[in-house]
Amino acid sequence: MVDPIYIVAVLLGISFSLGFIGKKSENIAGILSLLALGFTTLVSAQWFYNFVTADIETYHIFTTAFKPPFSINLMMGKEEALFTMMINAIGLFGGLYMFDRLKAAGKNSFIALLMLIMGLNVVVMTRDLFNLFVFLEISSIAVAGLIVLTQNTKSISAGFKFMIATGIISGLLLLGIAFIYNYAGSLNIDHILTQNLEAAKGLSIAIFFLMIAIVLEMKPFPANGWGLDVYSSAESGVSSLLSSAYATATVFVLMKLLPFAPENLQFLIAAIGIITFVFSNLMGMRQDNPNRMLGYSSISQIGLLAAVIGISSVIGEYTYFIVISILISHFLAKSGLFWIAGIVKQESIKNWSVLRSNKLLLVLFGVFIFALTGLPPFPGFFGKWELVMHLAETKNFIWIFAVLIGSFFEVVYMFRWLGYAVKNDIIIETKLKAKIHQIIPLLLFAAAAFGAGYYVSSEHPYASLINYLPLAVALGFAFIEFLPVFIKNTLAIAAMAAYFYFNYESYNELQVIFAAIFIIGGILTLIAGYAYKGKRQGFYPFALMMFAGLIGLVEATTTLEFFFAWELMTIGSYFLILRGKKSIKHALSYILFSIGGAYLILAGFGLAAIGKPDISIGILSNIELYAPWIFGLLAIGFMTKTASIGLHIWLPGAHAEAEADVSPMVSAILLKAGVFGLIMLFLAMGEQFIGNISFAYILSWVGVITALMGNMMAAFQEDAKRLLAYSSIGALGYVLFGLSLMSHLGWLTAISFSVTHFMFKALLFLAIGGVVWRLKTKDMYKMGGLIKKMPFSFISVLIGIIVLAGVPPLTGFAGKWLFFQAVVEKQWFLQGAVLFFSGIIAFLYCFRLIHSIFLGQPKDEHRNVKEAPFWILVPQYAILMVIMLFSMLPNSLLKPIGDMLMPYFPDGAITWDGQMATTALGYWNGKTVMFIVVGVFAIVFGWLVFMNRNAKKVKQFNIGYAAERPFLPETTHYAFNFFAPYKKAIGFLVAPGITNFWHRVDEGAHSVSDKFTKIYNGNAQSYLIHIVAFILVIYLISFGGF
Amino acid sequence: MQNIGIEQISLAVGFILLLIGIWGMLSQKNILKIIVSFTIFETGLNVILVVIGYIRNKTAPILDTTELQTNTAEKIVDPIPQALVLTSIVIGLGVTALLLVYALKMHKEKKSLLINDYKDTKW
Repeated sequence: MVDPIYIVAVLLGISFSLGFIGKKSENIAGILSLLALGFTTLVSAQWFYNFVTADIETYHIFTTAFKPPFSINLMMGKEEALFTMMINAIGLFGGLYMFDRLKAAGKNSFIALLMLIMGLNVVVMTRDLFNLFVFLEISSIAVAGLIVLTQNTKSISAGFKFMIATGIISGLLLLGIAFIYNYAGSLNIDHILTQNLEAAKGLSIAIFFLMIAIVLEMKPFPANGWGLDVYSSAESGVSSLLSSAYATATVFVLMKLLPFAPENLQFLIAAIGIITFVFSNLMGMRQDNPNRMLGYSSISQIGLLAAVIGISSVIGEYTYFIVISILISHFLAKSGLFWIAGIVKQESIKNWSVLRSNKLLLVLFGVFIFALTGLPPFPGFFGKWELVMHLAETKNFIWIFAVLIGSFFEVVYMFRWLGYAVKNDIIIETKLKAKIHQIIPLLLFAAAAFGAGYYVSSEHPYASLINYLPLAVALGFAFIEFLPVFIKNTLAIAAMAAYFYFNYESYNELQVIFAAIFIIGGILTLIAGYAYKGKRQGFYPFALMMFAGLIGLVEATTTLEFFFAWELMTIGSYFLILRGKKSIKHALSYILFSIGGAYLILAGFGLAAIGKPDISIGILSNIELYAPWIFGLLAIGFMTKTASIGLHIWLPGAHAEAEADVSPMVSAILLKAGVFGLIMLFLAMGEQFIGNISFAYILSWVGVITALMGNMMAAFQEDAKRLLAYSSIGALGYVLFGLSLMSHLGWLTAISFSVTHFMFKALLFLAIGGVVWRLKTKDMYKMGGLIKKMPFSFISVLIGIIVLAGVPPLTGFAGKWLFFQAVVEKQWFLQGAVLFFSGIIAFLYCFRLIHSIFLGQPKDEHRNVKEAPFWILVPQYAILMVIMLFSMLPNSLLKPIGDMLMPYFPDGAITWDGQMATTALGYWNGKTVMFIVVGVFAIVFGWLVFMNRNAKKVKQFNIGYAAERPFLPETTHYAFNFFAPYKKAIGFLVAPGITNFWHRVDEGAHSVSDKFTKIYNGNAQSYLIHIVAFILVIYLISFGGF
Repeated sequence: MQNIGIEQISLAVGFILLLIGIWGMLSQKNILKIIVSFTIFETGLNVILVVIGYIRNKTAPILDTTELQTNTAEKIVDPIPQALVLTSIVIGLGVTALLLVYALKMHKEKKSLLINDYKDTKW
């Protein structure tokens, strides 16, 4: 293997020799520099490879004839190899990315780049304190040289602030090193560590200065304004070097020097780190300039790493795994994002819609955002998971809270940015062109993010169990985006069908039911996709990712797999929702609620794993500590997906604005993920109590109020799809209530209703989606009289609302019948009454769907509309047939569910006799009811037809508003504000109180964010005061005085 | 008074210079004065470095006389801080030069040397 000293030698040698090259030969200078960096990257990669595969011994490099501590020595171990590899790689690819900028600035800029990378390499490898100081100085001088690559007032003054601040900090470092030498008599790190470090007070003060200087290099809050200004004003490529290379080296230095620090100083560093993490992310929320936002994000990530390193004595041997996985994610993603920002060159994130003109960059941008926010399958996901698990294990709950809230803030601004890029309607008429030398680093880093994720998960004892096949298939679709919809749709359906076919036998009954909803339901809704023309880019990878996540939930055997699948599903569905019209706001609120919920689930799983030998799902049924907490966290987490009242505000917009076939996917299918989670939770943990009150009792009221409010809000909508969306909220309230009954009948209802809800909601959303497809409007008052134009859609909607309303003879009635049986059995009459009332409200909005859309007079402009597209009708009629089957033969649905529930709730089961169901309270025969109702219907219908022959036909004309000039044309339509009298009576109940509440939370957070950023007033001296005050405060905390 | 020798006085001077430097950097509004304050800060640091290696009644570690070449360690001051201080001075020179270049460039941008005029990036 190549001796690591050649890393230093080659970089130094090349940069000296560049001095001899003539002025005009920047090309040669550049190529030589890149070759040198390529060489050093290979050297450290080779070492790392050998450390990983062959487990070789740590290598020491001695620089003179003397052995340390009498000489400077460097060290190449596994960690050093990894860190120098990262630093050299960012040097190489950052240099490649900036090639033409560096070339334009002259060969000296290549020298600065080489010196920076050389300095950081030595910083990582050296075991000598003074050497560390020297090379940190060299690196920061090199950075100062690179900052002025762009020369404007902003970058120059930022560079000045950087120089002054690092000047003070390294002065401090030198002071610390000098006094350590004074007391310990050595500069060699290993030699000093063999001594008793706590013997002299003077030594501990010296160590304090050393450590605080290193911490200041990591830009802790609030003494970091100088760093932020550099991030926001330097060339993007330079910012990426600073964020990835420089910060990576300081992380390593902190790891290396941490043994110096006494335990209380270690915790203090950790506290500084976590405070930096939370506050930087909080302040990141109000940023509009992408580079500055990335600066806040960089600082926060490094703060998190400082926190993890600081509490390594608590976390134990997994510290390294956590640090590396979070760091690699940050390293790859942050460089990538800075690079993309350098290509886009927009000062405001609102203008990033320009990124859409370059699809490749857009995809890469998404990959990096996901890698940065710690979503699967990237390494940060596993780091965060392991961090929370260990914090929970050691009962550091406040830390869990801080880690999750900080991460959540980061998600807020990162996804707002992503949303602007994908959907914002600011049109900028430039075609983004990235040069090939800019694209190559981006592609490599994105690929490395996937590779690192896979590698990290294969190193993890539980992550290696994750089934990557569905995700791989979904990602595979990204490579066949050029194919037409027809082929991709067929492939997607075939893939899902094949997966179900080969796996369903290994599922238990509960898994089969939900796998069927997720996969068969998914296939049905995908069929509607044939109606689309063209390529429909960006749909299939995400749709399949969502389904991959859903099936992963069903198959999960460990909490990690479950959480992985949960996040995967969230990502996929986020993009599906983002595809809709005017979706930015809704998609953002969807992802925020989802990630917030996911973090609660993560915390719950963390608490559940305390003291357990493994993390299988089974541990939930065997909880000794904090059971109510775990239950509450998980239940609320799952309820963000079922959109229970209070957590529902994301749903209406997200479902209503989605495309025709996406609405049923996210409404009929996706919501069931939350139901599945709740079922899993209830089955495992049973009833839990806070004090004397049962959680189930609380949830029953949540369910009831959700049902009531969902239905009321549905009744007052003008938009047909919003109406259906609110009705989903209501329906999921029923499911929640059913589950909270904790009885056989309650669960039978809840689960069968989940299936039924899937059917009628998919049916209705597809039918209404078809109508909207043709009419290009969702407002019901713009429709009317479509019964003759769209008879097939009419029948779908009619059947759909009959099922929804729970009227005999269709399968919805079975649900209602069971439901009230269950309520009576449990004797929760008050809840039952409210539910009954909300059932009546359901009639109101059901009626509207038929009346306002299909009956009445057709509008003039709709004279030529055609029936909905064939492929949207196909799945509807498939569902209709299943509905008819289940209605005729209710036990074909209910009996298997009942059998499944027997082990959990043996009492109060239904006894079946053919299609005759008997419970403790009564009996019901689906077939007979069907025949009777159909008979009665036929008689009445026949009588009406018979009477109708005498009726006169009236032509359509409108004199009602002659000579009037209504300013709001919709007010003249009978279907507008249809239930005005009811609205007067009970409308105050549906005032958007909860929405307003969340808006206030949002505004509050942003204004706090705004307040804090005001401390960075741009003045170099203020930043110095921050630094000095920071040192004083930390000194007083660690040596008394406070 | 036996305890206060040149090393204590130098140490005190070093720290006083250090603090004067920091004070100057925090209070002066002129960029050039800030840079001068920075060099005072650096000088203080260097003085402290030298003091740390100093041992009373010992001579410089230059082995030019035969007398010094026996039992050398007992007769000379610690040479390492003196070597370090040279490096530190060189680095200080580099940093100061770079700061002055920055000051020049800032002046070219706005024709002002007041630090308060350079607050373009903030929040």
